[in-house]
Amino acid sequence: MSPRLAHPRHPHPRRPHPRRPHPRGRSRLTALAAAALAAVLVTGCSSAVDELSAAADEPQQGGTLRIGTTSDIVPANTFTNSSETGDVLVGAVYDTLVDYPLDSVEPAPNLATDWEFNDDGTELTLQLRDDVTFHSGRPFTSKDVEFSIKTWADPLWTVQLQRTAAAVTGFDTSDEHAITLSFEHPVSNIFDLLDMVPIIDSESIDQLRAGTAWIGTGPFTFDSWQPGSTLSLEANEDYWGGAPLLDGVDVSIIPDPQAQVAQLRAGQLDLVTGASGRDIESLGNDERFDVTEWVGAETQVYVGANVQNEALSDVRLRQAIAFALDRDRIVEDVYRGAGVPSSLPWPEYSPAYDAEAAATYDYDLEQAKALVEEVTEETGQVPTLPLTYPAEQTDFGAIAQIVQADLGEIGIKVQLDPVEQAESIKRLIGGEFEGLWLLYHSYAQYNPSTLTVSAYPFNADKNTSGYLDAQYQKDAEAAWKQKPGEVSDEQYDALNQDLLDGAFLLEIAILHPQTVTSTNVGGLDQSKRNELRLTETYLAE
Amino acid sequence: MTRYVASRLGSAALVLLLASLGIFALIRLVPGDPVTILAGPDSTPESRAAIRADLGLDQPFFSQYLTWLGDLARFDLGPSYRLGGSVSELVIAGALNTIVLTLTALLIAVVGAVIASTLAVVLDKQWLNNLLAASNTLAVAVPTFATALILVLLFAVQNRVLPAGGTPPDGFFARPDIALQYLLLPATALALPAWAALTRFLTESLQSQLEQPYVTTARALGIGRRRIVLTQALRNALPSTVTILGIQFGTLLGGAILVEAVFAWPGLGRLIEQGIAARDYPVVQVLLLLSVVVFVLTQLATDLVHAWLDPRVRLQGVS
Amino acid sequence: MSATFEPVAGVDEPISPVPEGPPPGDAPTTRRPGFLHSLRKGRGLVGVILVGTVVALGLLAPLLAPYGPNEQIEGANLLGPSSSHWLGTDEVNRDVLSRTLFGIRADLVVVFAAVPIGAALGVLSGLVTSWWTTTDVIAQRFFDLLLAFPTLILAILLTAFFGPGLFTIGIVIVAVEIPVFGRLVRTSVRTIREMPFVEASQVVGAGSWWVLRRHILPNSLEPLTVQLAVSMSVAVFIEGAMSFLGLGVRPPDPSLGSLIKDGVRLMYNAPFFAVGPLTLVVALVLGLLLISQSLAEARRV
Repeated sequence: MSPRLAHPRHPHPRRPHPRRPHPRGRSRLTALAAAALAAVLVTGCSSAVDELSAAADEPQQGGTLRIGTTSDIVPANTFTNSSETGDVLVGAVYDTLVDYPLDSVEPAPNLATDWEFNDDGTELTLQLRDDVTFHSGRPFTSKDVEFSIKTWADPLWTVQLQRTAAAVTGFDTSDEHAITLSFEHPVSNIFDLLDMVPIIDSESIDQLRAGTAWIGTGPFTFDSWQPGSTLSLEANEDYWGGAPLLDGVDVSIIPDPQAQVAQLRAGQLDLVTGASGRDIESLGNDERFDVTEWVGAETQVYVGANVQNEALSDVRLRQAIAFALDRDRIVEDVYRGAGVPSSLPWPEYSPAYDAEAAATYDYDLEQAKALVEEVTEETGQVPTLPLTYPAEQTDFGAIAQIVQADLGEIGIKVQLDPVEQAESIKRLIGGEFEGLWLLYHSYAQYNPSTLTVSAYPFNADKNTSGYLDAQYQKDAEAAWKQKPGEVSDEQYDALNQDLLDGAFLLEIAILHPQTVTSTNVGGLDQSKRNELRLTETYLAE
Repeated sequence: MTRYVASRLGSAALVLLLASLGIFALIRLVPGDPVTILAGPDSTPESRAAIRADLGLDQPFFSQYLTWLGDLARFDLGPSYRLGGSVSELVIAGALNTIVLTLTALLIAVVGAVIASTLAVVLDKQWLNNLLAASNTLAVAVPTFATALILVLLFAVQNRVLPAGGTPPDGFFARPDIALQYLLLPATALALPAWAALTRFLTESLQSQLEQPYVTTARALGIGRRRIVLTQALRNALPSTVTILGIQFGTLLGGAILVEAVFAWPGLGRLIEQGIAARDYPVVQVLLLLSVVVFVLTQLATDLVHAWLDPRVRLQGVS
Repeated sequence: MSATFEPVAGVDEPISPVPEGPPPGDAPTTRRPGFLHSLRKGRGLVGVILVGTVVALGLLAPLLAPYGPNEQIEGANLLGPSSSHWLGTDEVNRDVLSRTLFGIRADLVVVFAAVPIGAALGVLSGLVTSWWTTTDVIAQRFFDLLLAFPTLILAILLTAFFGPGLFTIGIVIVAVEIPVFGRLVRTSVRTIREMPFVEASQVVGAGSWWVLRRHILPNSLEPLTVQLAVSMSVAVFIEGAMSFLGLGVRPPDPSLGSLIKDGVRLMYNAPFFAVGPLTLVVALVLGLLLISQSLAEARRV
């Protein structure tokens, strides 16, 4: 790894007298501002800044955690895992039936205490906790499990695991505290579904869709949501797993990552989710902040290709693009080393991980050029390809320009097309990208079938690329219709080969999510769903 | 006066009506269909049709428009399509933040301008005039977003004396001292260009007052320059300043979008950005209309105040 | 006595801060020699030099810039200023100085193409419509309508139509300038038309078009020139503000506004980054303002 470049962290030297008037220009106003401030301070009123940083050293009960996020909830997309605020909300307000530890896919008990398959894996009986109530006071029963899974199976909610949820065909809820799910075929990623489906309250589903109430059984209760501004949660003192240490959580939605980081630095936030790779690096060098890297909830950054696009329908062109991506440079320059370049999505612990296959499309300009030459000889000049990406996330801007330069090297012209985050999610779900696009995906940390049958960009039956391939569909089905843990290595090898041959989704790197907190935040944890776990979180004094 | 007022009111009403129609049509021309966004990509044509009917988007254009005017009159704008909550709540919450910010900025600009220009005229010192001219030009020539960021860097990040952004956690009215500190940086950034324009205008205005015969007379009677400026000249110079104030208010509202972005201030600027991104017609329509209403009302108020302060306008105003 | 604050009789318009033609009753003004001459000394000269320098830097960018504007230099990731990169490099290994010099060109397009187009359209529509009462009323209400939207709201709205890019910035500026110039011309027309010499020429049989060309246009030229300089400085701001909100030129093409935005984003890692483009923006705006001020002053003398 090349040595990091040192940059001065304090670009502007501290001035000894902060309220001394500016020597030139704007003197009057600065003086006025200073006078007003001085008046506030002298009259003994409290300083907004001091109030914010009144934390000391000891761990303690109470306090409100202030989180900054860049993207807001869209109520109709509550379950699509596509907004940072939504992730905080769903993680804190809802519980799931089982819970994966961060570093494995072995389910641990949560709302379900015990479970058992029938012999051929088409029926799963789960024993449920009998001491759980919703925030509305209603007791949690097996009916709620049925309702929650059926909600996920409903296309209305455009949930990624919809196909997996729809594979659950029978619900036996004759026992309030046990449920038997039946399937038409064994489902290898059924526990992924149970780890992800939040148990929701059927009575308030309309309020959920209208964005006026989110009622679950989780450690925090929904208090209020000001669209585009704030979300506030309160501790659930009656939580079955024990009340959280915090009194509450306030989420500020700050679309500009720069403003978010400034507020963290100014002590107005305790935790931010949207900092760029470079900001994270410089915050990590600052003793006032901690950076936590989560291994086990990986995110992948990739270039997607719409194979319905005339030029991109030629697989050789897509492979050429894959060879031309300078993955090492992106990881080094943009993510400051916090990632692993890869041609496949799987992290090392995944059953589908294959080091050799993951290096298939390692940077190879010669091969890329040769492929492009082949294509242009047959079909003529490659037209300019649009590359769409969310404009808000600054890292994408840099990657897009690197990709543009990389493809320029092999004679492919790219036009950059920054769009709003919400617009890019809409196009992701609807498969509406014109040519190439740049986004994150997740779910490779789960059983591989979750990715290949459920994730928007991968789903073999309907994906963002519009890539439908009989072999891929067959292999994806085969790996999916197995009892959990019984999928063979050969089946995964076949899937990997399909993904690499199809080259409809070109991975750049596997990234470990990073959370930046001020040092007084302790006991922070993260779920495999990439949601914060705030039950044990505290604010030190 | 009555005729003057009636003519101004009439043209204001006409502009508003035209604006509402224009906005309503314009929004529907923006590419992107809210129904598709709402229904989701896997939706059936039937469910899309149901949503379309539910939102009234299957009605003819003019019937939709009239329904909307009716809703507006009752200020019952229904739920937003996508942003969550009712349109009225969203707009009111955003408007409160923007108005508090803009009014504070206006106050800073006006008070700052009166102090600066009076000092300049009363003291009449070359160095002061030069300093004022220089800071004035700088305040106009440095873009608002750059000033805003420099302020954040100086007062919130390097020296942590003021918050870097956001609105006061307990609202504006529970703890006014805290609220003031949250307001100080964004309002100052917003106020600077307006302050510069007002100062320049008021200074010139005062100076031209001092050339008036009544001042010469007063001076001859032995009344001090300072007293003349403070008692007479300032009062005579204010009417014309009111007119420029109206224009500055509009400019401030526009600038508020930038300042809201830098300071993460959840006001109307952010709401309209999100609304357009989500093709949330009801929200965007009302916001656009609101900006026209504010403009028309400011113009109207400016004209009327001007007419009230300056009889020549109301007597000759109707030609 | 300054003409700026005097209400113009016979015009039921709010008083705008921009000088609105000669006060009634004055002799028909011919171009005073002092008007453009004011740019040869004092503030005017400083303004011309500032604007001239920035324009020259932009025009000569291909000769002056050591690298291409979008050229990614291997290994030069976010370097500080040095002899080989005077303003350092950015996060995708590009030379900031070269990008800044080329970035001026986007602003030049906006200032010297979009603003004049908007001004011409505004003047034309103002001249034509103000001659007849009906068209005048319609045009005035239309101008009011355009003016009623704060510039940036107009920008966000128009970007929803056309997508972000230099073209959209141009459209926004044209849309902003049309009513400004339309109203300005209209005020001049109405004022001058009432004057004795115009009435006299009509009595002796001069046609409308002749009056328009012979009297009104020349008499409106000075306020229009002043407004043009002001509008040009506003255009620089609009470009900057739109780029700042992410509605500006498409990456990777540079503009001064988008470079400031990048610089601000990298404030902690590369504080030197925004200095160059910010200086140029301030110089350009300042120069245009000084020009407009000295022109406005020359008119009053």
